[in-house]
Formats: sequence, C-alpha cells, structure tokens
Amino acid sequence: MSNLGRILLVEDDPKDVELTLTALEEYKLANEVVVARDGEEALDYLYRRGNFTARSTDNPAVLLLDLKLPKVDGLEVLQQIKADAKLKLIPVVVLTSSHEEKDMVASYKLGVNAYVVKPVEFHEFVNAVKELGIFWALVNEPPPGSVKKN
Amino acid sequence: MKSSSRSRPLGQWFADFGRRSFEFATSPLAFQRAAFGYALAVLSVAVALGVALLLERYDFRGVEFPLLRFAVALTVWYAELGPGILSVVLSSLVFNFFFTEPLHSFYVTRSELPYYIVFLLFASLVAFFAGVRRRVERDLLQSRGELEATNKELEAFAYSVSHDLRAPIRHISGFTELLQKNAASDLNDKSQRHVAMILESAKRMGNLIDDLLAFSRIGRKEAHSTMVSLQQLVQEAQNEVVPETGGRNINWKIGSLPVCYGDRSMLRLVLVNLVSNAVKFTRTRPQAEIEIASTNHNPDQIVVFIRDNGVGFDMKYVNKLFGVFQRLHGPEAFEGTGIGLATVQRIVHRHGGIVWAEGLVDGGATFYFSLPKSQGV
Repeated sequence: MSNLGRILLVEDDPKDVELTLTALEEYKLANEVVVARDGEEALDYLYRRGNFTARSTDNPAVLLLDLKLPKVDGLEVLQQIKADAKLKLIPVVVLTSSHEEKDMVASYKLGVNAYVVKPVEFHEFVNAVKELGIFWALVNEPPPGSVKKN
Repeated sequence: MKSSSRSRPLGQWFADFGRRSFEFATSPLAFQRAAFGYALAVLSVAVALGVALLLERYDFRGVEFPLLRFAVALTVWYAELGPGILSVVLSSLVFNFFFTEPLHSFYVTRSELPYYIVFLLFASLVAFFAGVRRRVERDLLQSRGELEATNKELEAFAYSVSHDLRAPIRHISGFTELLQKNAASDLNDKSQRHVAMILESAKRMGNLIDDLLAFSRIGRKEAHSTMVSLQQLVQEAQNEVVPETGGRNINWKIGSLPVCYGDRSMLRLVLVNLVSNAVKFTRTRPQAEIEIASTNHNPDQIVVFIRDNGVGFDMKYVNKLFGVFQRLHGPEAFEGTGIGLATVQRIVHRHGGIVWAEGLVDGGATFYFSLPKSQGV
C-alpha cells in the first residue's frame, strides 16, 4: 500500500488517538497520519501556520474529524474548511461518539463528506476505520493538490 | 404545580410584594404598563360616561349600566388588578352621580339603592372573573416556560451522555480487546474469562446507553404525521427481523390492517419492537405462531394486536411490562435491555392511544395498541 494518501486525524482524546492509530496500523494505513489535538491545531496545519509553517504545500487526502474538541470545535473547523475555496475540496469525515441527529444534520448542512459514529466494540471500530482509510486514502481519487504518492 | 396566590403564607406574600415593588421601581417597562393600566381605567369609564350621556340626550334609557360594566371588563382584561379596582370605583361613582336619583349628587335614595348595589356587584363580579382569567393565563405561561426549560436541560443532558459517556466505554472495550488479542497466551483460563466478562459488560453498557438515548429521542423528536399503511409497516417489520428468525419455523398469520394517521418512523418502531419481541419469545417453540391483525369493534379507534404462542408472562407482572429497563426474563434466557416495550408505550401515548397486554406463563402473549382514527400526534 504505497500510494497511500495522508490522513489528518483531529482528535483530542489520547486514548482515542491510540485506538484509531492501532486500527489504522492493523491495515498498514497508519504511516502517513498527522494528528491534531484540537480544532485550532487542525486549522494551523491546513493553513500552514504556527508549528506547521514548514510543511509541504499539498493537502491531506482526507480529514478524520472529531466533533467535541477543545478551543475550536469540530463543526467550526468543518465550517471554516468548507467556506475556504482552497480547502473545501478536502474530503472531511466526521468520526464521533455522538448519535445525535442535531450533530448529523449540522454536519451535513456544512457539507461533510461522511459521518461515522464510532462503534463501542473495538473490532467494529477497526472495521469502520479500515474501510474509511481504504476508501478515502486509497480508493478515492482526491482533488488536485492533495498528496497521493505513486 | 404553582399554588395560587391566596394560599401563600403571609410572609412570602410580603416578600413577593417587596420584590415586585422593587422591580416596579427599577423597571421602566413595568412602570409604563401600570401607567397604561390606570390610564385605560380612567379613559374607558370616561368614554362610557360620555356615550351614555349622549345617548340619554336622544332618549335612550338604561344604556349606562352595560356601558360602564363594559368599561370595567375592558380594563381588567388588558390591565392588572389595581386599574381594575380603580375602574370599578370610578364607574360606581359615575353611576351614582349621573344616573341614580337624586341626580348630580353622591347621595343614593332608598328606592335607587338596590339598583346601585346590583351595579356594584356586577362590576365586581366582572372584575373578579377577568382577574381569575389573568391569573390562570399567567400560571399557564409560567408552566410552559418551566416545561421548556426542563426540556432544554433534558436535551443538554442527553447530548452530553451521547458524547461523553460513550467514549470511556469505547476505550474500555477497545483496550480490553487489544489486551485479549495481544496477551492471550500470557493469561490463564480464569483471567481470559475475566477479560471476556469485561468486554461483555462494556458491550452491554454501550447498548444500554444507546437504547436510553433512542428512548429519550422519541420524547424530544418532532412528529411528522402522514397517512400510514400499517399493513406495509408490518411487512417492513417482518423484513427487519429476518436475521433473528434464521432457520426457524414461524407461521405468520397477518390479517388485513388499516391505514392510520401518525408519524411513520415512530409507528414503524412500534411494530418492529412488537414483532421482534414475538419472534424472540417464541424461540423455544418448535413451531412458532405469530398473528397480527386488527379488531374493528370501535368506531373511533384502531386496535391492532400481535399474538404469539411463546413463553408468555405472569399477569401479576403486567404493570412492569412497559417500564423502562424492566425485564421479566434473565439475560441468560432472552437477551435485551428492557427498553422495547417502554418505547412502544411512549410512541403510542404520543399518538393519543393506549397499550395493553394479556399473557399466560408458557401460554403465549398478546400485545394490543390503539390509535385514534382521525387524529395525529
């Protein structure tokens, strides 16, 4: 799996980060994952600000976004991305604990590409993350300007 | 329920009075409203007097009585009690001065006294009725406000449960599964069994939370009522439980079912729950019989029943059937969280119907629900 796109994982809970990375590793999808711990860091990464001024100019192939985040929450991040002409082509997948219809409707209204509720059982979570990773980072043809190694 | 102002202890009344006076003095809006009320009292009595005197000049007699009462009613309707009392006092003075013998004096002759007293009583009665109406309206508004606040709190609570309570359970389940996978060879049988039990409990906790959230969502969700074919919903419910019926011998008897008016997705949930229960509790039967039909005895109600020949229940516990997380069977016998029938009841109640059940230990169960024929949610 060499032609893997970069995944930006926005998640504040270190336990969730570990579980998600473990799930991605299980299918060798973890080599190009960048983790942002809150909404601000995610936006810094996307706009190449703060710690990320030196990063390469290409966009991630997909953004896995938690909703409940410190500082700038997931919906605000989503809104800013989809309002920005340069960023709005990046596929965004909301990956959250919440089943709440309110969150789902709000996310789709803001133009999210997929909404996934994290299953309680780990093997189901692994399956969900695997399929997300394979689809968005591997199968899906990302918009021009994203990283996709060949 | 709020107690009426009359039954409040005196101390509280004074405290309220003090608070209200303070609010009055510091709030320009309250002052404006009071000024409007007193102005309305004076003006309405003055206009009633003017019209009555004018009509009297054209030889219309006896119009002052209803006109002045109308002025009182108008004041009490739109203003507070204070202006209402003022309008009663003013109108009775006006009545006395202009319309009872001797004219143009506040003296009342013996013969005119009953007439004057009747007027006074009538005016007071009108003021009292309007005052009661105002208080009821205020109490209703207040209850509605409190209800809305409670609802908001409940929503915030469910939202927080949805976000925050599920995460730690996912972590327990996730890391335990990893432990099970990576350390299985280091653990003896007993420890492996413990790990399996942690996983099972985490899974159950997750199911309980999801069920509870789904249950609370029914109460919070807005209903979208349309004409719904119950026949089609039963068909869909049957399709949905197919995975649970794998390889089993079930004899379905589906009668003709009516069309009703209600929220389609909610009513679908009712039938899925009932059908899935019937399938679950007939599992021990070599030949399961499930009958779904409607009884057409009542002109204004639709009654649908689902009858099975499953393990049934003791009628002694019929009251517990529809409670949240109430179960009549242990988890070893039949799986489930005990939210299904509570959900059924909640939805049917929202539609203005009722649910009930009949059963016999080891003799099957019948679940009924009714829906009004021409009413939505």
